[in-house]
Amino acid sequence: MFYHISLEHEILLHPRYFGPQLLDTVKQKLYTEVEGTCTGKYGFVIAVTTIDSIGAGLIQPGQGFVVYPVKYKAIVFRPFKGEVLDAIVTQVNKSIPTDMEFCPNVNPPCYKSKQEDNVIQEEDVIRLKIVGTRVDATGIFAIGTLMDDYLGLVTQ
Amino acid sequence: MADKTMPISVPSEKPLKVIKWKVKEGIFVSCGQILFLYSDSSGNKSEVKKFKALRSGTIVSIKVKEGDIVEPGGCIADLEQCRHPTVMKEMCAECGADLRSGESQKRDVAVVPMVHSVPELKVSEELAQKLGREDADRLLKDRKLVLLVDLDQTLVHTTNDNIPPNIKDVLHFFLRGPGNQGRWCHTRLRPKTHEFLESAAKNYELHVCTFGARQYAHAITELLDPQKKFFSHRILSRDECFDARTKSANLKALFPCGDNMVCIIDDREDVWRHASNLIQVRPYSFFQSTGDINAPPPLPEEKTKILSGKNGSQISKDNQMPTLDAEPEKENKEIIDKSNTDKKDSENGIIKDKKDDKIENDATEKVETPVWVESSEGQIEVDDPDDYLIYLDDILKRIHNHFYEIYDKMENNGNEKSIPDLKYIIPEVKSQVLAGSSLVFSGLVPTHQRLETSRAYQVAKTLGAEVTQDFTDKTTHLVAMRAGTAKVNASKKMGEDKSKIHVVTPEWLWTCAERWERVEEKLYPLQRVGQSSLRRPPAHCNSPPPAPAVRKRTPSGRFMDTINPLLSFSSDDIADMDREVEDIFNESDESSSDDEEKVLGDIDEENITEDRLLSLESGNSSQERLQEKLNEDSNDSNTEDGERALKRPRPSTPSDDEGPPDDDDTSWNLMGAALEREFLAQD
Repeated sequence: MFYHISLEHEILLHPRYFGPQLLDTVKQKLYTEVEGTCTGKYGFVIAVTTIDSIGAGLIQPGQGFVVYPVKYKAIVFRPFKGEVLDAIVTQVNKSIPTDMEFCPNVNPPCYKSKQEDNVIQEEDVIRLKIVGTRVDATGIFAIGTLMDDYLGLVTQ
Repeated sequence: MADKTMPISVPSEKPLKVIKWKVKEGIFVSCGQILFLYSDSSGNKSEVKKFKALRSGTIVSIKVKEGDIVEPGGCIADLEQCRHPTVMKEMCAECGADLRSGESQKRDVAVVPMVHSVPELKVSEELAQKLGREDADRLLKDRKLVLLVDLDQTLVHTTNDNIPPNIKDVLHFFLRGPGNQGRWCHTRLRPKTHEFLESAAKNYELHVCTFGARQYAHAITELLDPQKKFFSHRILSRDECFDARTKSANLKALFPCGDNMVCIIDDREDVWRHASNLIQVRPYSFFQSTGDINAPPPLPEEKTKILSGKNGSQISKDNQMPTLDAEPEKENKEIIDKSNTDKKDSENGIIKDKKDDKIENDATEKVETPVWVESSEGQIEVDDPDDYLIYLDDILKRIHNHFYEIYDKMENNGNEKSIPDLKYIIPEVKSQVLAGSSLVFSGLVPTHQRLETSRAYQVAKTLGAEVTQDFTDKTTHLVAMRAGTAKVNASKKMGEDKSKIHVVTPEWLWTCAERWERVEEKLYPLQRVGQSSLRRPPAHCNSPPPAPAVRKRTPSGRFMDTINPLLSFSSDDIADMDREVEDIFNESDESSSDDEEKVLGDIDEENITEDRLLSLESGNSSQERLQEKLNEDSNDSNTEDGERALKRPRPSTPSDDEGPPDDDDTSWNLMGAALEREFLAQD
């Protein structure tokens, strides 16, 4: 599910950036540091929409580095168990236990239903329901199913 | 496996009435899914409740019909819990259950990673078998076999060195490493690679199986097969390999129903543990200074083999060099100089690990060196004489035909279920190459080595030829290193009346082994003058003979014991040898015959053991100590080293075929090691 939420982040800035462009540097650093990252609680940070406030910088004793607390809003995505999502097929492989059949001989390989009226192959959009998620240090991994009503290939 | 069927019973104290089932038998329900609607049977029908599944699983049987009333404690349906047959990142792909938390005994069910490029996806043994059978059936239906294709030095040759950017037909790509580092790879496809793949794909399902990193493997596959029609996703790289040194460990997982239909092409057979379904190809080498950039570290037990191969390659290289024109050679030097002067790459640690260097040297063994010629357009044209893939394609076709011939025969005989095994078929096909020929070697096998242990003998045997020590009625070929040996002369005499013995160079045998075909003998005549090429058996000519008994292990299981000639002797042999040495020393000292007997008396077996063990303990000084002792014993014997070396009895042939040492006491082995050190030091 996508959310638009307020988040906080601390930016550690090297003294060499002190100058007229200081705040721009902080903003830039925020974009590069948070966009694309993933936290277990909020999921993937897709894009920073607004930067609400950049707090007063605090010089670190003994270093000269400055820490700026930044408050910003961002679009985040986090998959939930039971959620129905549209997804794009990136790979089709053989160990799939469904009522469809794996056809590795055609190019690209695909799944076909018994009547051959339903074909799923790479790049297709499918609608699935998430049955389980795993939160790792680097990302969230989810398993989905097509075995329910109204799930499966989405035809444009 | 314990049966995990569990009943769903009435949740409340009161009897209830099932109004409507929402699920059918045999259907999979996940946790929280509505199973049926019910109401209390007590009367007021208005209140309809939903019954939700408490855990996920499959509904095996429904025990009550709609409208029935169930008493408390009565069974409504049976639910079979999910067995988690497919697991992705330790989550069940069927029910989504997290298998990392707690229930560790369930985690063991899915253990087989069946998909090449997704090692996290694992399926249960049962499911793997089923999928494997489906694969096999499909292959049989399509009349195909499986071919595992190695990349480096089999189909391509890649270097990280700096090379001139204008070499024709060399592809360049950049691999992003961890961090911002990366490296440029320059890859040359073996001549006729595309034709080869095209042709092989008709008869084989192709899989990439390489020790390159995943990124590299995918990049190369992209170059080889941009449309993904040959390999699709069947790419196994170093990242997915279970073992850093062998590829054979992955076979079981990829082909859970056995590797009956698997054929392998690779330039190294050690990584496959000398599997008999391997076709060892001639290594492809294009960039002179680079070997296999992705070579695995050698197996510890392979070291001796590699070292010996190195010497051989050195010779063959020297031998080949003069055949090149002067001009391209100069160019080669320039190229090498260039790469030497530009050390940036090596500073970044891009070039390669030191560990690999040894193998690289080994791998630079060249049979036909590409000739580099600069063309007028500023592109370096390379005349690459490598045409091995044509032969390889032919070999693969023959294997395929033979397999399906046997399969059809078996099917006609009624046993449809059985599938022929390529592990037997491939050696069989190979053994037809020289079937019916009978070879005699001259100058190939050192006289002190037994014929059966020589490389040439084993190569000839795998090709199906007979090898005899001397001429017989059946002899068809004489393989001779040089003209003028007794056997060559004898063959000439015989040739006059029979004219059927071909006199050929060893080259002929190696070429037969490379191409798996009986090469025209006239192309490899024995030159009258001078020696024929010193080319050693190519590394890829050492496929295991059909009878795998050659590499017999001693009971101690140590590989060392099988190759160290001295360690394969029994204790009695060693004692005998010692006595022989003593005899010779004493012979040279004719004056002191009294001492002789004394010495013989002294050196009886027990004493030897003690002495040698002592000398072993003293480490390096063992040789001097022993010598001292000998000098003492044989008083004023003036035996000089040279003389001694001459008179030293040649150790009888070390042989792996010989049974293991009778007495495998480690002390004897240690003694043997000490003895060997002495001999080596004397040389």
